[in-house]
Amino acid sequence: MDIAQLQAYGYFTLIILLVIALYGYIYHLYTKKKDVDGVDYESYSDMALKDDLDDAPVSPKSDDKSTLEGAQRNRREI
Amino acid sequence: MFHWLEKHPFFFAVGVFVTIAFAGLVEILPNFAQASRPVIGTAPYSTLELAGRHVYIKNSCNACHSQLVRPFKSETDRYGHYSLSGEYAYDRPFLWGSKRTGPDLMRVGNYRTTDWHENHMKDPASVVPGSIMPAYKWMFANKADIDTAFAEQLTVAQYFSVPYNEPVPMRDGSKKIVKMGASIAEANELALQEAKLIAADMRDQDVKDAVARGEIPEIVALIAYMNSLK
Amino acid sequence: MENRPLEYDYTVAKMFMFTTIVLGIVGMLIGVILAFQLAFPGVNLILGEGLAEYTNFSRLRPLHTDAVIFGFTLSGVFATWYYVGQRVLKVSMAESKFLMTLGKIHFWLYLVVVTAAVVSLFAGVTSSKEYAEFEWPIDIGVVVVWVIWGMGLFGLIGIRREKSLYISIWYYIATFLGIAMLYLFNNMAIPTMLGASAAGESGIGAWYHSVSMYAGTNDALVQWWYGHNAVAFGFTVPIVAMIYYFLPKESGQAIYSYKLSLLSFWGLMFVYLWAGGHHLLYSTVPDWMQTMGSIFSIILILPSWGSAINMLLTMKGEWQQVAASPLIKFMILASTFYMFSTLEGPIQAIKSVNAIAHFTDWIVGHVHDGVLGWVGFMIMAALYHMAPRVFKREIYSKSLMVAQFWIQTLGVVLYFTSMWIAGITQGMMWRAHDEFGNLAYSFIDTVTVLHPYYTIRGIGGLLYLVGFLMFAYNIYKTMSARPVEERELQNASPMGA
Repeated sequence: MDIAQLQAYGYFTLIILLVIALYGYIYHLYTKKKDVDGVDYESYSDMALKDDLDDAPVSPKSDDKSTLEGAQRNRREI
Repeated sequence: MFHWLEKHPFFFAVGVFVTIAFAGLVEILPNFAQASRPVIGTAPYSTLELAGRHVYIKNSCNACHSQLVRPFKSETDRYGHYSLSGEYAYDRPFLWGSKRTGPDLMRVGNYRTTDWHENHMKDPASVVPGSIMPAYKWMFANKADIDTAFAEQLTVAQYFSVPYNEPVPMRDGSKKIVKMGASIAEANELALQEAKLIAADMRDQDVKDAVARGEIPEIVALIAYMNSLK
Repeated sequence: MENRPLEYDYTVAKMFMFTTIVLGIVGMLIGVILAFQLAFPGVNLILGEGLAEYTNFSRLRPLHTDAVIFGFTLSGVFATWYYVGQRVLKVSMAESKFLMTLGKIHFWLYLVVVTAAVVSLFAGVTSSKEYAEFEWPIDIGVVVVWVIWGMGLFGLIGIRREKSLYISIWYYIATFLGIAMLYLFNNMAIPTMLGASAAGESGIGAWYHSVSMYAGTNDALVQWWYGHNAVAFGFTVPIVAMIYYFLPKESGQAIYSYKLSLLSFWGLMFVYLWAGGHHLLYSTVPDWMQTMGSIFSIILILPSWGSAINMLLTMKGEWQQVAASPLIKFMILASTFYMFSTLEGPIQAIKSVNAIAHFTDWIVGHVHDGVLGWVGFMIMAALYHMAPRVFKREIYSKSLMVAQFWIQTLGVVLYFTSMWIAGITQGMMWRAHDEFGNLAYSFIDTVTVLHPYYTIRGIGGLLYLVGFLMFAYNIYKTMSARPVEERELQNASPMGA
């Protein structure tokens, strides 16, 4: 098998994998509807609509409430 | 997996990069393994021609003129044989252009002469009534940069094995040797010899005087390049 | 320092807003001059015979494209990044001295590189590759600016409070990665000062000159892989990032389908890069690549329209806002033009259509309905939305905005309609044969016939420039307009009469 043939098989396999990934993604988006933290995908739009510094994040970076409040307190003090 | 990716910017960025790089890997890279070989009759550019090519690039002639004849009857009737990949083997950069405000120049050397170019560059409408091309009078005064052209010859010979000082097969079965100087002085001398041949066919007295003094105006280099396009 | 509440810090955004406007005026002014040079060649001597070398069409043309791409558009991208980035990540630049300093360095270095680029292009120092004309010293500067932007971008993401990344951030990240990859590969060159003669001399000739790593067909392939995708990652991806933030924010409407926005993102990322081959149809590039370029151009309609339709549907039930707010008008027209040019492009990429369209003014028309209609309108809308927030003043004049909108819309319509006619006329005349099989027209016939269309195009471009000057004036006056009371403005931007 020469290099061109190897390339051809490689590309074909890759494309099949990508097609599976794409349809898997569509299936995933439209059946699960919520992400790992239980946040509805559609509510992600709020990241733009509620984007003041004082607005609560849609999916806070830290699950620990105390650090979150700490961060908000710090912000006030700068 | 997908959710996880959305919250981890680094891995997300990797994912995006793989997705956009994929096409390049599949489409672009394989072709590089078989870089086009020069067709018979294609020779490297001489020092003066290369300096002319630099004048062509400096003034973005490629913004309005293509150098690519497509395989259509209307184009081969107008410009000559359609382009072959190997004809571009020594073109760094390629000058295909993307817009034909003026005609294609791929084979302009076949049907235009030195004096035609001279008149045309001075006053385009004098030879092509209705032409919207601007005049390029400063090319008659500015000096061509032979040193840089020589440096480019050295670079391509060194890094890309362009066959200077070696016999190259021509269409009529003969061999052609494109000479490259061994020193800056010799390169300038070679360019000047070639420039004298061009200047002999020109009418502009200032250009003739300059070449007689040993200077090479841009127009002479440009015409040498144009005449080499066949 | 006094104890006041933390706010978003728009210092760097303001700086880039300034260059967006200045370089926009420069780029568009040169564009109008070029347009009239084609209609009336005498304009080549606009500053007299002595300066003809610097004012003729061919010397100005790369300046026009680069000023609009790397000046106007890129400034707009940076300005909006330094605005949107903070907001959707919910973190202020003021919280990190490092990022703040980096942002300022980013701006000043950018300005230095832009200045160097302008000077070098006027001098005719160019590599000839479209939208990659700069020689290697400037290329290095571009890379440094880009890396600094990337550090700032990922730095801000690193200290974010919002764990998930908003879709606009996705697009900004893609812009960063895409341009980085493309620019690097396309500009690979060897400086000719490395060449040494047999006599032992080196460093010969101009130090800034370089020779491309690729020759002929391969060079063309890499160049149009770049050229096409510079459009993708400069004119599409970051502009989509903008509209996904500014349209929902200004209208107060959630994105019609967030999931569709994600899907379109991955679709666009995967498909766009393949389509570059459509610039090389019927050339000496291998056939399968040309076909690939054609096919993927058609497929590209899907993700493009996915985003565009998503934007239009975001206004569902709120269409009265389009009538009421000139700002929404700009954005809706922008996404309409996006739909339009992402349909026009694939049509031109069909091989038999391309046979007529390639090398003609139709292509020029296509680029301009995309850039004037989509990119220009969206960037202006973004700056209009940002102005009241960064200056804390209401927009100086709403009626001026409305007038500007209609003047520019008319300008764009005149531009692309005249170029359609010009392009198809020329394409058909080039291939016309008489009854004996000879060419029916000499080349100059196909040039002189375009004069009326070139004139109309010039007028269209002039109208757009006039509108842009109105925009610049409006933003300038906004800086001293009536202050707004609210600390944080919600949706619709306040506008004066």
